[in-house]
Amino acid sequence: MIEANHLTKRYGKTVAVDEVSFTVLPGQVTGFLGPNGAGKSTTMRMILGLDTPTSGEVRVDGKPYRQLADPLRSVGALLDAKAIVGGRSAANHLMWLADSNGIPRRRVAEVLDIVGLSDVAGKRVGTFSLGMNQRLGIAGALLGDPETVMFDEPINGLDPEGILWIRNLMKSLASQGRTVFLSSHLMSEMAQTADHLIVIGRGRIIADAGTEEFINRHTAASVRVRAVEQTDLAETLTQRGALIECASDGAMVVTGMDSITIGAAARSHDITLVELSQLGSSLEEAYFDLTKDQTEYHAGQLVDATKGA
Amino acid sequence: MSIAAHTIDATHFTPTALPVRTPRNRRIAKAEWTKLRTLPSTWRTVVMATVISVGLGAILCVSQVQQWSKMTAGQRQTFDPTACSLFGIVFVGAVVLAALGVRAMTAEYATGMIRSTFAATPTRRRVLAAKAGVIAAFVFPVALLTAVISFEVGQLIFTGKHLEVTFAHPGVLQAVVFGALAVSLIALLGVGLGGLIRHTAAATTALVMVIVGGVTLGQLLPAGLRQYVPGTALQAAVTVNHSAGLLRPGTAIVVLGVYAAIALAAASFRISHRDA
Repeated sequence: MIEANHLTKRYGKTVAVDEVSFTVLPGQVTGFLGPNGAGKSTTMRMILGLDTPTSGEVRVDGKPYRQLADPLRSVGALLDAKAIVGGRSAANHLMWLADSNGIPRRRVAEVLDIVGLSDVAGKRVGTFSLGMNQRLGIAGALLGDPETVMFDEPINGLDPEGILWIRNLMKSLASQGRTVFLSSHLMSEMAQTADHLIVIGRGRIIADAGTEEFINRHTAASVRVRAVEQTDLAETLTQRGALIECASDGAMVVTGMDSITIGAAARSHDITLVELSQLGSSLEEAYFDLTKDQTEYHAGQLVDATKGA
Repeated sequence: MSIAAHTIDATHFTPTALPVRTPRNRRIAKAEWTKLRTLPSTWRTVVMATVISVGLGAILCVSQVQQWSKMTAGQRQTFDPTACSLFGIVFVGAVVLAALGVRAMTAEYATGMIRSTFAATPTRRRVLAAKAGVIAAFVFPVALLTAVISFEVGQLIFTGKHLEVTFAHPGVLQAVVFGALAVSLIALLGVGLGGLIRHTAAATTALVMVIVGGVTLGQLLPAGLRQYVPGTALQAAVTVNHSAGLLRPGTAIVVLGVYAAIALAAASFRISHRDA
């Protein structure tokens, strides 16, 4: 479990992370979502005790990270897969990590097997592709069999097969009751992987909710409709409070009213419908709207609204 | 790589499956030793340091033998066959081996791997202490072996003029051991500079400036201060015949120890007070 409490990081005048509070619970995959530069990596570095918060605090399993006796046995993290000295072999890289926390060296072969790098265990890390480095980084995170795992942008640079692998791995780790926290700037990826979403923009939490709930709340439903008496229908729906836009092919896109209400309205005015279909607005759009200019939103209000989640 | 198959049986391990309890300082030192010995460049550096040190020592000895007939009686009187044969290891070998100390820090900062190190061991002072300890413990025997080889090669060259000394001569054994000790202290200075400067090229340049450049710049200092310059203290550590303008060997070791301690203390302060 990870608990951040009014966590703040300032670099001079720039506020990278601004009074952030959240809890990452075990047994589920929590996505940490936000555009590049939103403060995800800074937050993660503070969780690991690498950066000192300007104010506030963050605890892992109830303790500040720096007070954990053997941190790798509690928290496994991958921040930057390329941050590795290239001269060593993969196995030797994992070996020093194991040694540092008193983890038996046989775990090295085990985790290499988990991530599918057994065949290249003796190869110099410097010759690895980004995808292989990601796998090695994940192996390092799993080395201490930690209760909490944390990955910063783990799917960057992976091929579709690798992405699927990571997604399944995260889910299986969560199903074992572990706390899984991963960041991404890709909404669509998070929607498929995470059970819970924490959205950060410009250093502030702008949403903290279950993924499904988040999707439902932020994807405004609209309805595409076409009628023989198009003008009459538009008039009727507008009177009832719907918002209407005209699609390029002559159909109307109605928001603020569901398809049943539209159908009933048409029937009561004897309007013949030619087309009536529900449109889901893309989640990616919703996310983009949410984060594109964070100052347009009242962060406090949104957070309040999601507190019950 | 079969991906899906790995995922399923992947994580079926229990948290209780990990015993092993060793004292923390030993674990950190073990990790740093693993890091040092698993880098192929470490061993290349050792070979390079040994070859260059023995070679340069031999060259200097040969040139001394050739100049022997032109030397004054006074020069012959103060000639120190031990110090001469150890010139390569204390002057150039020290810099090459100290680069190991520099890189122990800078390689991790350059790549960002230092974050993995500090995430694994949040007590950063202990990491620095472990790196310093491992470097010193590794460099000392390497330097000692190189010093012994350099000494023997040098004395072999001196037999032609019957100038050779043996380990039985007073002060010789001390000079060889002090030579290795001095080199180890310079390696610690390297660790400290690496922790302070964090860039391999810049920190190595600083090291070379301190050792080699220092001797040249030392000429500008008054004679009393000149002997405290690191490069000059290095030379003093391996002397058997005391010569004017050089510290006593024991004092020289203390002076070098102070330099190393200052660099390490400064690095320790910087590492603990800055974000990684």
